Amino acid sequence: MTAAAAASHPVRDMVMDAAGSGTPLRIAGRSHWMDAGRPVAASRIASLAAHSGVVDYVPGDLTITVRSGTTLREIEQITGAEGQWLPLDPHGSADGTIGATIATGSFGPLAHGFGRARDLMLGVEFVTGDGKIVRGGGRVVKNVAGFDLVRLATGSWGTLGVISEATLRLYSLPARPATLSLSVPDGANALAQRITSILSTPATPFAVEMVDAELAGRIGLPRRPQILIELGGNHAAVEAQRHALSQLGGAHDVGPEVWKQFRDIEDVPPSANGSRPPVVLRISALPTRIAELWMSTHNAIGHMDGAMMHASAGLGIVRCILPAGTPLETIQPLTSAAAGATIVFERLPSHMWPTLSPSVIADRLSQGMSRSFDPHNILNAGIMGPVH
Amino acid sequence: MTDNTALAEQLEQIVGERFLLRRKSDLLVYNSDGLPGYRRMPRLAVFPGNRDEAIRVVRTLAEHGAPYVPRGAGTGLSGGALADDIVLLGMHRLKRVISIDRENLRAVVEPGVVNLTLNRTVAPLGLIYAPDPSSEAACTIGGNVAENAGGPHCLKYGVTLNHILSITAILPDGEIVTLGNPEGETAGYDLRGAFIGSEGCFGVALDVTARLTRKPAAIRTMLADFTSVDDAARVASAIIASGIVPAALEFMDAPTIQVVESSVYAAGYPADAAAVLLIEVDGIAEGVDADRDTVREICLSGGARTVKVAQNDAERTRLWQGRKKAFGAMGRMAPHLVVQDAVIPRTRLAEVLAKIREIAEANRVVVCNVFHAGDGNLHPNIPYNADNPEEAGRVHRAMGEIMRACVAAGGSITGEHGVGLDKIGYIELIFSPDSLGAMCRLREVFDPQRRSNPGKVVPIHSCQEWRATPARRASEHVPGAGVAS
Repeated sequence: MTAAAAASHPVRDMVMDAAGSGTPLRIAGRSHWMDAGRPVAASRIASLAAHSGVVDYVPGDLTITVRSGTTLREIEQITGAEGQWLPLDPHGSADGTIGATIATGSFGPLAHGFGRARDLMLGVEFVTGDGKIVRGGGRVVKNVAGFDLVRLATGSWGTLGVISEATLRLYSLPARPATLSLSVPDGANALAQRITSILSTPATPFAVEMVDAELAGRIGLPRRPQILIELGGNHAAVEAQRHALSQLGGAHDVGPEVWKQFRDIEDVPPSANGSRPPVVLRISALPTRIAELWMSTHNAIGHMDGAMMHASAGLGIVRCILPAGTPLETIQPLTSAAAGATIVFERLPSHMWPTLSPSVIADRLSQGMSRSFDPHNILNAGIMGPVH
Repeated sequence: MTDNTALAEQLEQIVGERFLLRRKSDLLVYNSDGLPGYRRMPRLAVFPGNRDEAIRVVRTLAEHGAPYVPRGAGTGLSGGALADDIVLLGMHRLKRVISIDRENLRAVVEPGVVNLTLNRTVAPLGLIYAPDPSSEAACTIGGNVAENAGGPHCLKYGVTLNHILSITAILPDGEIVTLGNPEGETAGYDLRGAFIGSEGCFGVALDVTARLTRKPAAIRTMLADFTSVDDAARVASAIIASGIVPAALEFMDAPTIQVVESSVYAAGYPADAAAVLLIEVDGIAEGVDADRDTVREICLSGGARTVKVAQNDAERTRLWQGRKKAFGAMGRMAPHLVVQDAVIPRTRLAEVLAKIREIAEANRVVVCNVFHAGDGNLHPNIPYNADNPEEAGRVHRAMGEIMRACVAAGGSITGEHGVGLDKIGYIELIFSPDSLGAMCRLREVFDPQRRSNPGKVVPIHSCQEWRATPARRASEHVPGAGVAS
């Protein structure tokens, strides 16, 4: 081992301390969304909140390397000063950390145009359950050296290693952003046709997000279902796209602040942890099924006070946010309505997990990964399912 | 390996006599890939003709504990698809386009489908499969997945990783698994991401669900010519820094331009230029016209003599032909060619190109630079005569020095060609022993016996346990040593 590698590393020291005493850790960023994922068997919270800050930022390269406890808001401010941004907008405000975003593979409407965390990641450093400091990828925008530890770490919920640092690909801020709202017609067929029309224009939107009436009202828009479209680029490109979409009828401009409000709906300040969590699930299918999924999901939850849904039309994802205390008997019909689709639960009361989603790492390869990278089973144990 | 004869007979029963090669004269053609300096002779080569045969072949290899090397079209440029006295498993006969879903932008293909074939299949539907390696006319999707292939248009559209939704793979022990989800959503570990770019060390793909992209509404292709390499490098950085994401931003230097222009691939590049940039912007027509004007202005104010804009598809194709066939054109200069694939931060292009010039002069070699400037993915090429040991020695030394200069600039050793045999000796320049150990752990989950493409990517000594394989110990390979063989 080199002298540099042997030097103290706060995240490794934390993991080694836990490994030495056999103490299971609950890994946290700024302790938002601590109820996301399955219940964790842990006796200590390993907070990465203080492990923050920029390690390297070269605006000319459009890359940034940050410690994992850095918030998305800090990244937004630092890159924004150079006319750049990280187009990653997971639900729950910009106060969450980049480490948590990467570890959970979270994403928001901008995934339509820019992909998910896995697509924006260039490099990662994480500390395995046996205290090895591991780096994958690099700080350049193209790289196929070695096996892909970057993708392996992304979305692994900290169970393969505690993410300590990440390098991300940035984009220039669009010269002229614009947000349009288009109406949602009644009926699955009309809706399907409208979505097809939007996606078939020459426009290349950053986001195409459908919101239901409840959610629209909560973000300051007229309380009716609508399709929000974010555009960006140079002046000519935005105007041409706006014109193409306006031809479809019922389009009007709304302020870009709706996107901030959209994220903030699910902001969960750390102090709120311990309150009863909502139920959040994603239903995913082929994009051509999105109108049908939207209608069936709406039929299943439309009567529920406080329930909200939105959908990324191009990705084929409907996401439901159901009020705290939603009983199992309400969720089960919803999952039936989504028959044939993939359902990912983001948040559930702990007692519902075994019934609705026992494990997402039950296969041999995933179990092997978990055992190999966290041999003492101390990192967020159980958050993706049990390791046998 | 167990009894060679028994294994060969069993494999032959599966694929038929024609598709099991065991004679040295038949195997010779498989003793190298697209980087001809490395030569390794397979013991057997087997070519299953369909999915069922492929599964039976892999299971038979597993029963015998036989190591093997998966191979597509053999266009790889890292010595990755070479079998050193073990079985070569060719997948190119599995070449069915299984389905195209125009509405959902999906294609399901077998691994042997040629990249360009997929693009020609979907073109009438107004779609493209975005990754476009320069070998697209020959390389296969399975090979693209194994190498996480890139190409000029990956600057905007992303590499193979960004376009593969799921893979049905057969693991080295014969288990069939689905990695990822054709519908797009996955929970659990990103095993699809781990498999892509694993250079055949994790198993072989049986089918791949790829994401298709709508053909852009408008494309503008430009050629800017410079009398100064430094100016061209600085302009490349300036275009990226301007906020425009070009669909492609390619760089060719004077030796490259001259060899292309004196070949059948002549593209009309100015023969007296020190460098040219081939720049493409695409998207909605009004927007790309504005981007074209901005790019032209950046080029001219940065020292370009002229900026030529292709006026039609024929002109565009001609401009691209010179770039895509540049490697082939270099065959005119010398009998052998060695190419490197390092990546550097884009802002350090001018500085690193100057360093490459220094290294070339000091070692008395000609470097032809043709590369993806927008990504900082360099391809210094050195044409040479491998049969001249003195010249070969200078070439190897120059290549090693160039690689170290790129790493020192904060770069990586490979952007799209893979590690294979060629760069295994460099990987410790960029990854610590613990990082390489983690890669070994990852590999061992897929392939505990390390039978799939043994001895590639990560040096065996980086793994904690030594397990002998019939392949030569990777650590014995000296970077570039195979080039002269």
